[in-house]
Amino acid sequence: MDRRSFLAAGGGLGLICTLNGERVVINSAADLDRLDARAAAVPRPASAAEPVDSAQFAAPEPAPGGTRREYWLAARSVMWDPAPTGRDEWMKQRLPRRRSFRAFVYQQFSAGFATPLGRPRMPGPTLYAEVGDLIVVHFRNAERKLRQAVTVHAHGVRYNPEYDGAYLGDFTRAGGFVGPEEEFTYVWEATPDSVGVWPYHDHGPSHTLNTMRGLFGAIVVRERGAPVPDVEHVLFMHSLPPQVTRIPRLLHCINGRTAAGNTPTMRARVGQRVAIHVIGGDGNFHTFHIHGHRWRDASGAFVDCPTLGPNETITAAFVEDNPGRWLYHCHVFSHQDAGMAGWYVVDQ
Amino acid sequence: MMRAISAAVVTAVLLVPTAASAQENYPPPGDPGQGPKGGQGKAQKFRVCKQGCRYRTIAAALKQADGADTIRVGRGTYREGLQVVGKRYDGLKLIGNSSKPGRVVLNGKKLKRGAAQNAVLVNGADDVTIRGFHARNYKANCFFVTNADGYTLDRLVAERCGVYGVYAFNSKGGRMTNSEAYYNNDAGFYIGQTPPQGAKKKRSLVKNVTAWGNVLGFSGTNMKYVTITKSRWYNNGTGIVPNALDSEKFAPPEFNVIANNDIFWNNFNFYYGAPFEIPGDAAAGFAGYPIGVGILLFGSQDTTVENNRIYGHYLGGFAAIPQLQLQIEHGDDPKLLEASVLRNNVVRGNQFGREGSDRNARDMAYNGSGTGNCFADNVTFSPNVPSSGSTLAPCPGPAQNTVDDAVLGEILPWATEGKPNQPATFEKYWIKNPHSTVPGVQPLERFDSN
Repeated sequence: MDRRSFLAAGGGLGLICTLNGERVVINSAADLDRLDARAAAVPRPASAAEPVDSAQFAAPEPAPGGTRREYWLAARSVMWDPAPTGRDEWMKQRLPRRRSFRAFVYQQFSAGFATPLGRPRMPGPTLYAEVGDLIVVHFRNAERKLRQAVTVHAHGVRYNPEYDGAYLGDFTRAGGFVGPEEEFTYVWEATPDSVGVWPYHDHGPSHTLNTMRGLFGAIVVRERGAPVPDVEHVLFMHSLPPQVTRIPRLLHCINGRTAAGNTPTMRARVGQRVAIHVIGGDGNFHTFHIHGHRWRDASGAFVDCPTLGPNETITAAFVEDNPGRWLYHCHVFSHQDAGMAGWYVVDQ
Repeated sequence: MMRAISAAVVTAVLLVPTAASAQENYPPPGDPGQGPKGGQGKAQKFRVCKQGCRYRTIAAALKQADGADTIRVGRGTYREGLQVVGKRYDGLKLIGNSSKPGRVVLNGKKLKRGAAQNAVLVNGADDVTIRGFHARNYKANCFFVTNADGYTLDRLVAERCGVYGVYAFNSKGGRMTNSEAYYNNDAGFYIGQTPPQGAKKKRSLVKNVTAWGNVLGFSGTNMKYVTITKSRWYNNGTGIVPNALDSEKFAPPEFNVIANNDIFWNNFNFYYGAPFEIPGDAAAGFAGYPIGVGILLFGSQDTTVENNRIYGHYLGGFAAIPQLQLQIEHGDDPKLLEASVLRNNVVRGNQFGREGSDRNARDMAYNGSGTGNCFADNVTFSPNVPSSGSTLAPCPGPAQNTVDDAVLGEILPWATEGKPNQPATFEKYWIKNPHSTVPGVQPLERFDSN
C-alpha cells in the first residue's frame, strides 16, 4: 500500500444513507445498485393534510431595478474521469488507469433546452445575480439511466416553500420531487442579505448520494452595480469515495478532478483583482491554502489557510502582486495527498 | 391548424376552418395520464416482412404484441392503417428502417374507411416509439399520436397526407426528431392542445426535422412546453405558426421555444396548384394564413424565438399579432380573451436576410399590443413594421407594450384579402427580393411551375 492509499483508507468507511425510511449502508457496488433501485422506487409523495403544507405561494417578481436572470439546467449522468491527464503533475507520477465512474451532474442549456451551453460538468454552471434580481432556474431531470427524482436546492437566496427544491417525505411540494423527463421552474430572490457565494445542490430523495456524485454548483450574488473581479473562480473541495465511484480508492477532488494538472489551473496577472470562492462540498472540514498569498477574512484578519465546513464558503480576495507558479491545496494532509491540490499561475 | 381569415370590414376579423377537417374521425380528448405502465409480460420481438416471416402484416403483429415488445418491419410497401390503442401498448416499439425509412412504406391509397385515415394512430398508449417509416396518401394524418404521456416519432417521412404529416394532440413529453414532411394538406408537423401540467411539465422536443411543400411547415394550436430546434422550414405557405384557437382546448400557446432553425423561402402559393387537395373556399369568402411569412405568432405567451436564420420571405420574416378572432367572438369569456393577448414573448438573436444576400420583404412586424414582449440583438437587413421600430421594445419587455394601430392596418390585409379562387390575391403585398443559393434546395412558389 502506498502512502496515498494508506491515508485514503481512513476515509473508506461505509457510506450511510437513509432513504424513504430505510437505513442503507454502502460498502460495495452491489449496495450502490440497491440504493439506486430504492431511490428510483420512491413513490411520488401524496399531498400532506396540514394547511401549512397545502398553502399556495405565488412566484415573486424582481425588486424595482432588478431583472429576471433565467437559467436552463438539466441533470443527467455521464461517465466522468477525475483525472483526464492521467498524471499528478505535483508528485510527478502516473495515476491508476481505472478512474471513470458514473457521475450525476448539472448541464446548462439555452432556452427551451434547445442547445447545450457547455459540457455537463462538476460543478454545474455558476448562477449570477445582483441584489433585486430574480434567479429563475428552469430545471429538467434528463436522466434516463438512474430514473430517480432529483431537484435543485439553493442556499443563500430567498424563496418560498414552492421553490425549496427539497424532498420532505409526505410534505414534499412539486419542486422537491422532479421525476425523469419532468421540468420544474425554481424562482429565487436575490435579497440584500443574499450577497455572497452559496452552493446549490440536489435535495431529492437520494440527495446525499447524488450530491456526492456531482449534482452541485454555486450562486454568486453581488450588490447592485458592484464591480466584478478581473479573475473569479469557484472551487468545490470534495471527495469521491469508492462507494460512490466503484473505484477502489478514495479520491479527494476540486471541482470533480483530482491531483494537480487535472484540478483547475487558475491564472491571473499582476495587478488584477482576484476572487477565489471556495466551498466545502462534502462531509469533511477542509482548509484552503495558496502558497505565497494572504488575504483578509470576514473579520478583517489576514489569513492564508482558513477552514471551511460542509457547504460553507470562504472567499480569497486580493489584488495580485506576486508572480510565479503557486500551489493551492487543502492543508488537511490526507486530503492534499489524495489529490486535493492544484496550480495557480500568476503572470507578470 | 390551418384556419381562415375574413375581412368583412376592414378591422373585423373572423376565422373558420378551410381545410377539410378530419377531427370528426379523431378520438375525443382524454387525459394523457401519468406515464407508462410498462409491458404486460416478458418482452418479445416480432418480425414482419413480405416473405419468410411469421407476420406479413403489421396489424397482425400488433394484435399479438403489447407494450414490452418490439415489432420490426422489413422492406416493402404495406397498405395498412395501424391502430395502437390503449395502455396495453405502453412502451411499444414499432421499427421500420432507421437509416432508410423509404424502404418501409405505409401507403393509404385505395384503403377504405378507418384504415384510410392514418398510417399510424397511437391513442392512449404512453411512450410508444415509431421509427423508420415512410407514410403517404392517408386521408387524415400520416403519423398521429393522441392522449399520450411520452412518445417518440423518429426517422419518419410523411408525404401527401390529408391533414397533418406528423401530429401529436392532447399529449405531452414527446419527441419528433430526424424526420421529413412534405406535400401535406395542412401542417407538416403539428402539436396541438397540450394539456396544462401543473407545476411540473414534460416538454416536447422537435429537433432535426425538415418540412417543405406543405400549407404550413409547423402549426401549434394551443401548444405548450414545446422546443423547436435545429430544423429546416422552407418552401411552405407559412413557416412556423403557434396559434391560439377556440377549436381546441387550453388556449393559448405558451412556454414554447423556437431556436436555432433555418426558416426560409416560405412563399409556396399552393392555391395555384398543389400535389394535395387545395384548402377550399368557405361560405363568406375566406383566405388562409398569409403566404410568405417565416414565423407568425398568432397569439402566444412566454414564447422565445431566438438564434434562428430567417430569410427570403415575400411578406415578412417574423410577425406577431394578437388573436383577434378570440377578442371579437369571445369578448365575454375572460379566459379566451386573455388567451388572445401577446405576453412575455422574446425575440432575440435572430439573423434576418442572410447577411443581405436573401432579404425578407420585411424582417419583423408587431403591432405593440400586450405586455412584456421584447426584441433584442436581432440582425436585420429589411424594414420592420412599423418602420420606426417603435413597437419593438428592448428586453426585458415592458409592463405594457406600446401600440401602433397602423401596424394591423398594414399587415392584416396580408391575410384578409387573399381569395383561394384568385391565387394572385395572396401575392398582392409581396415584395420579392433575389434569393441566394441553398445547396440541394430550389425555391417553390408555384407547384405547376416546378
